[in-house]
Amino acid sequence: MEAMAAERSGRHERWVALRRRLIPYGLLGPGVLWLILFFVVPLYFMGRLSLESGLFPSYQFDWNFSNYSDALSTYDTQFFRAFEYSALATIIALLIAYPLAYAIAFRGGRWKNAMLLAVIAPFFTTYLIRTLAWETILSDNGFVVNTLQTLGFISNDGRLLATAPAVIAGLTYNFLPFMILPIYASLERMDTSLIEAAKDLYASSRKAFLKVTLPLSAPGLVAGTLLTFIPATGDYVNAQFLGGAQQQMIGNVIQSLYLKQTDYPAAAALSFILMATMLAVVFIYIRFAGSEALMGEEVPD
Amino acid sequence: MRLTQRAKALGLGAVALSAAVTLAACGGGGGIEGGGGSEDVQTVKYQPPPSGDMTVSNWPLYIDKNTVPNFEQATGVKVNYIEDVNDNQEFFAKMQPLLSQGQSGGRSIIVVTDWMAEKMHDLGYVQNIDPAGIPNVEANLRDNLKSATFDPGRKYSVPWQSGMTGLIVNTQLAPNVHSINDLFDPQYKGKVEMLTEMRDTVPLVMKADGIDPATATQQDWLDTIDKLKSAVASGQIRRFTGNDYTRDMANGDVAAIIGWSGDAVQLQADNPNIEFRMPTEGCILWSDNMEIPVGAPNPTAAEAFMNYVYDPKNAAPLAAYNSYVTPVNGVRDVFKTSDPDLVNDPLIFPSDQFTAKCTNQPNLTGQEEQTVTRAFEGVLNG
Amino acid sequence: MEAHAATLPVQKRLSVGTRMWAWVRRNAIVIYGVLAIIYMLIPIGLIVVFSFNDPAGKFNFTWQGFTLSHWAHPFEITELTNALLVSLRLAALATLISTVLGTMIALALVRYNFFGRKATNYLIVIPTATPEVVLGASLLSLFLIYGLQLGFTTLLIAHVMFCISFVVIVVRSRLIGFDRSLEEAARDLGANPFTTFRKVTLPLIWPGIVAGALLAFALSIDDFVVSNFTAGTEVTFPLYIFGAAQRGIPVQVYIIATMLFAITLVAMAFTVWQQRRADRLASVRPEQEV
Repeated sequence: MEAMAAERSGRHERWVALRRRLIPYGLLGPGVLWLILFFVVPLYFMGRLSLESGLFPSYQFDWNFSNYSDALSTYDTQFFRAFEYSALATIIALLIAYPLAYAIAFRGGRWKNAMLLAVIAPFFTTYLIRTLAWETILSDNGFVVNTLQTLGFISNDGRLLATAPAVIAGLTYNFLPFMILPIYASLERMDTSLIEAAKDLYASSRKAFLKVTLPLSAPGLVAGTLLTFIPATGDYVNAQFLGGAQQQMIGNVIQSLYLKQTDYPAAAALSFILMATMLAVVFIYIRFAGSEALMGEEVPD
Repeated sequence: MRLTQRAKALGLGAVALSAAVTLAACGGGGGIEGGGGSEDVQTVKYQPPPSGDMTVSNWPLYIDKNTVPNFEQATGVKVNYIEDVNDNQEFFAKMQPLLSQGQSGGRSIIVVTDWMAEKMHDLGYVQNIDPAGIPNVEANLRDNLKSATFDPGRKYSVPWQSGMTGLIVNTQLAPNVHSINDLFDPQYKGKVEMLTEMRDTVPLVMKADGIDPATATQQDWLDTIDKLKSAVASGQIRRFTGNDYTRDMANGDVAAIIGWSGDAVQLQADNPNIEFRMPTEGCILWSDNMEIPVGAPNPTAAEAFMNYVYDPKNAAPLAAYNSYVTPVNGVRDVFKTSDPDLVNDPLIFPSDQFTAKCTNQPNLTGQEEQTVTRAFEGVLNG
Repeated sequence: MEAHAATLPVQKRLSVGTRMWAWVRRNAIVIYGVLAIIYMLIPIGLIVVFSFNDPAGKFNFTWQGFTLSHWAHPFEITELTNALLVSLRLAALATLISTVLGTMIALALVRYNFFGRKATNYLIVIPTATPEVVLGASLLSLFLIYGLQLGFTTLLIAHVMFCISFVVIVVRSRLIGFDRSLEEAARDLGANPFTTFRKVTLPLIWPGIVAGALLAFALSIDDFVVSNFTAGTEVTFPLYIFGAAQRGIPVQVYIIATMLFAITLVAMAFTVWQQRRADRLASVRPEQEV
């Protein structure tokens, strides 16, 4: 009798344990399947394409690795330019976003949600319109350029449009929410009693910030910087509207190869190179910042 | 437990892998293949009366707001008019996977420029039009458009609007610009723009250097592109644009550009100092053409639409709205009563004298196209 | 009287300047926040202003005159209105699906250790490192091979795909460091896993989920590149604008953009009102009931 009961409870335990082991797969299942079907598989085809050669539309698959070397040597300028602009935009965005996220999280009070929406609201008016609005605002005879000329920041026949600063400004503006939201999420759930504890231990506000708040907001910082830097590097809309021929980024090149020149193998090769560099950046970053920040390595029970 | 779990995972992985491999095998050569080739071009069958639905793909802001509703009322056909052609090549790249499989994505009419019409035809992506359905076109198509080098006898293309590529200048900022070469004058540094449309920009610059685009060699094209490259490097050319030069012109950010005739008229509303100038060496002539792609549903309705817009009564408001060169005879007479101030507009009714030195937009194919396009795009991308 | 005066602490009257400076220093961060928000709204200001423009020609680049006539017919351009509706529907559905899927993935990644955890981590991050042009073009070829007709469905598939990763990243940064003891407490009190999730976990991670959903919605409604490849004959709002931008944006586009913004403003006002209401209700003490 006891043996049977023990066996049943043993079976029950094993069943519970099995269910526990399957829960993560159940949670992951739909999402991961979606990503595999609609992200991984297409990439596989893209990989094949990058090793083909010939003239449009009849490409032949022949392990043509020269597509990669050609792409790298021809478009290195645009690559570096893209990294440069994107890095600058990310840094500026960080400097703008962090204090703003801090203000909303800690001083927002009942205005918190309202301020968050004020941050997000502009982004419901379409990327393109916003960028075009900047194109009008920064025009040669507009208020901004005239003011800068009076203040001496640019020469009298200088301009902002079709220059690097305009593109960087556009990138910064357009990716700001990507920086703000993760930092905010991270700051908001911070336990303020930790800061109070620091103050009780005679830390100044600044010290409390540097030693308590900043490190605790690291996950948000990491997420924000990566979510800004990576898409900004592959962006082409800002360069297209706010930049000139000498401000074109790698994204413009890829778009041109796909849509203007229909040179699919070169486009595919370039895309993979860009992806690979971005991934390298991510992994280096994680090494620095610690993988818990991004990968959530917090190993559970 | 652990063993079962691991085995399960491995099994899943194997299934996934084999699925991917099978898919790849089905995918064949990556799915990028040409259509049947120009020998097996079909002709659509016109079966009146027109009815049902149809989708028209056109360039943005290329139609006044009454033409479609009036057509729907006159024929009972429901028109889904979409404006998704922003650029010939981009449209082609988007449509190519569909067209190569004999589908048009639901489109019954597409409107593309001459050279793209030729390219699509050569790849077998368009169908011939049944002459029975377009009597108005036969009757009213302007003489100098009745036959095109890429489509003698107009079997598969019907011009929607024609146009001229030339100079658009701000007479206050650049009063003395009359030739394409003036655009390279250092006094206009940073205030000059050119088109991203290779087959407009390069031939124009070639003409200014005395080269005839119709007989130019690949080296001529590449040399001209080099000239553009130095102009970019020195900062002479501010940027290359599509229609968005209109913004820069209206704001006064640029002084003189290569642009399209129809836009100049519209720009005058923003700034009366803007005008189209025929370059001393002549302009480039082109047409945007209506075509019926392969796999087009309801070709009867498509032909009815083409026929409809070739009635001068219906072509007139289109011409008035677009300010481009109308391909339809008889519009001038209609204007005498409806828009008398447009009757002598040289941009809508250019005289032969006006366009004496103009050449038709040239085209490139094959390896030459790929080499030259790559060089040109290299200049665009800095 | 003297004794009275002696017990009172002596208050030094600070000068106006010092007091003002102290106020500024205390509220510097809030002032900065307001300035930053104003910066973010500058282009919106321009858009609103231009929606009242009265251009003579096709183009809407220079200010030509104030008029309300276009506001009277904001949905006059049917193609534009249709494009807008398509975008809204698409964004709503894509947000819903991707938030659910993404939150589930985030939970699994943070809470459980399982075979394939590292691989899944990478699978989530890599889409964000992929240029949109690549996503779009590869998806197009795929849809053809699977034989799917391009249109709303393919758009939806594509949008969900690129939204999932972002939802995961945002929700995860909220989940990390989450105090599990609250859940344990609930379990100790007899709640089963579902109830614990519903009543304890979910409310606490809700702000993170909302942030993720907002991001997904913004991404979807804004998307141009991927949509360009996967839309077929469907035209979304950004696709329409890109086409129009080349030729001259009709005033109605600015009007609709202003409306979209106004709706979010209304939502803002609503949340502030909601918050005030919650504060008022919270201040009612239950003990007062006798």
